[in-house]
Amino acid sequence: MATLNVISICGSLRKGSYNAMVQRLLPSLAPEGMKVMPAPSFAEFPLYNADIQNSTGFPAPVNTLADAIRSADGVIFCSPEYNFTIPGGLKNAIDWVSRLPNQPFAGKPIALLSASQGPLGGGRVQYDLRRAMVFLDAFTLNKPEVFIGAAAAKFDEKTGELKDETARSLIKQQLAAFATFIARVAPKS
Amino acid sequence: MNDRQLDVLVICGSLRRGSYNAALARSLPALAPPGFALRAAPSFEKFPIYNLDLQNSSGFPTEVNAWADAIRAADALIIVSPEYNWSIPGGLKNAIDWASRMKEQPFKDKPVALQSVAPGILGGSRSQYHLRQSLTSVDTILFGRPEVIIANAAQKFDEKTLALKDQTAIDLIKQQLAAFEKFIRRVSAKV
Repeated sequence: MATLNVISICGSLRKGSYNAMVQRLLPSLAPEGMKVMPAPSFAEFPLYNADIQNSTGFPAPVNTLADAIRSADGVIFCSPEYNFTIPGGLKNAIDWVSRLPNQPFAGKPIALLSASQGPLGGGRVQYDLRRAMVFLDAFTLNKPEVFIGAAAAKFDEKTGELKDETARSLIKQQLAAFATFIARVAPKS
Repeated sequence: MNDRQLDVLVICGSLRRGSYNAALARSLPALAPPGFALRAAPSFEKFPIYNLDLQNSSGFPTEVNAWADAIRAADALIIVSPEYNWSIPGGLKNAIDWASRMKEQPFKDKPVALQSVAPGILGGSRSQYHLRQSLTSVDTILFGRPEVIIANAAQKFDEKTLALKDQTAIDLIKQQLAAFEKFIRRVSAKV
């Protein structure tokens, strides 16, 4: 089987983000045949405004992210939860991308991971992302779900290493399941 | 509190000029009870995407402070917002995320009413329920019913002036605003 090219999108922009740590770990936990690369950043997207879209078109960074999504075999979101739901910046990125012709998320396999300092590990943000992905006609992987709660105790702050073996093993299982899922839902040629 | 006019801030979730939700927001002063003085919130259009590193290195952006101050000064808020991809518009959520990180958190104990309008049949209700979920995290006091959910927007606003012309919607908004005034006077700190 050909290599699966998967991109990862981190919902947090801060350098020390636990979700960015999760994102950086993915390549080492992915199954053979799956390559995971970070997606281009949405940090410079303006806030969505249809007037901008209609006057000057889609901003260059929006097209760059959209192209990366279109050409990927799957997309993995690693996102914190802000105020019980999706971070505004990540949602803004999804809002921009959703308005493009040849809508990039349509038919795209999606996997979700979240880490947080609280006990729920970002439970609410994942279900809200699932909901937005339904509207965008993506295929979202069901299980195993990866919620990493009490993140401060599980990561080495300096190296970003995930010390918790249960969490590492769960991520491995999810990525293996994601590879199977991608193969199953991919268009048959 | 029980007789003075209430300062109510209106926040619109869409940035585009021809927005139905902006049109709805503009219609509110004419439909509000005499006890309300409505004003539009400053724009969140220039807020950067939230990043804790930015907050720690250069503090809260000026525009965020202006928005937060307007919220703090108000007796209550009305959020009028479209639904994007079955949820809150990213720009509005980004504004909430910034304000939520401030000391003297602006939303705390603030009475909030929600309105939405959409071209489709559900009228932006999914965005409203997500806002309820998120505004719970910032400790607002959410107004319940009547809900103002305006579906099939194209038929309800004048195509050229964007004036709200649907009598059922007009009556519903009047009812909500009158009930919201009572709610604010009931839940606000007694002075």
